[in-house]
Amino acid sequence: MSNMTCRAAGLTFAMTFASGLVVPANAQVLVHKDLSLAMATSIALTAIENCKQAGYNVSVHVVGRNGETLVGIRNPAAGPNTFENSLKKAYTSRTFRIASGKFAENVGQNPAAAQLMLANIVAARGALPIMIGQEAIGAVGISGAPGGDKDEVCAQAGIDKVAGDLK
Amino acid sequence: MIKTSTGIAALALAASVTSAANAQLVTTKQLSLPMAVAIATTAVETCKSQGYNVSVHVIGNMGEVLVALRGDNTGPHTMENSMRKALASRGQRVPSGVFAENVAKTPNAGALRLGNMIPARGALPIKVGNDTIGAAGASGAPGGDKDEACVKSGIDKIAGDLK
Repeated sequence: MSNMTCRAAGLTFAMTFASGLVVPANAQVLVHKDLSLAMATSIALTAIENCKQAGYNVSVHVVGRNGETLVGIRNPAAGPNTFENSLKKAYTSRTFRIASGKFAENVGQNPAAAQLMLANIVAARGALPIMIGQEAIGAVGISGAPGGDKDEVCAQAGIDKVAGDLK
Repeated sequence: MIKTSTGIAALALAASVTSAANAQLVTTKQLSLPMAVAIATTAVETCKSQGYNVSVHVIGNMGEVLVALRGDNTGPHTMENSMRKALASRGQRVPSGVFAENVAKTPNAGALRLGNMIPARGALPIKVGNDTIGAAGASGAPGGDKDEACVKSGIDKIAGDLK
């Protein structure tokens, strides 16, 4: 086969491929809903307050759709690890669209789980996804209470606070 | 012989470090969580009321992040920028805008080689008397002067507690 034929074949393929991409009649931008800073702040502060009332000082992170930090609050009365840990829990929860404690259960019997090798994933309870229907638009993670179950209760309180606006 | 003289030198050093008559713990003041949150949310609100969405960082004495808020519809760089402005302000103990002026004529200033300090206006140090205990930085308004004004309103909010 000559060079020319090869090139022609390539051109035909490229054109077909390109037209395949641009042709769909209903191509349109994606539209999605995201947490506002006001909602994210409300979730975070409510969670901290809830834990405080239970006697626990916690740090908190609220992350958005892409796992980006929307709100991060370090509690000076909590351990230095809690800031990072709350972020990782939240990121984990957003990524897998489930409670980070559920993820921890899922990988608990499988220390070689590939997910654990991804950056910023942590198998620890204390974060919950923030959902609109079936869609995870973010997550809130808590660290500092004596037990991930107690962290999670505060995360839930934070989400409950804005539940009416999650639509 | 060499080993012995080294040992003696080490002993002398240890003695000089531990024998200070008035050795005592260092006491410092630290921003509380409610104060840091009040500074950050006030700064965001102030800018919002002026029509600007900003991201804000409040950092503590060691440059650690106390509060980080990402403003609605802000550019993706505003989180990093607000943190780096705050860190420059904490490190230099002056407004980051003053730091920017100071280094403008010395592009090889050593401080610009340190991690995370950025010569851009929009952050102010948080002080108790002459001691800098943290800083707050904002990014997202059309001009560092406007960022700075919002930060100032945040710090003013809790000024009475900075003692």
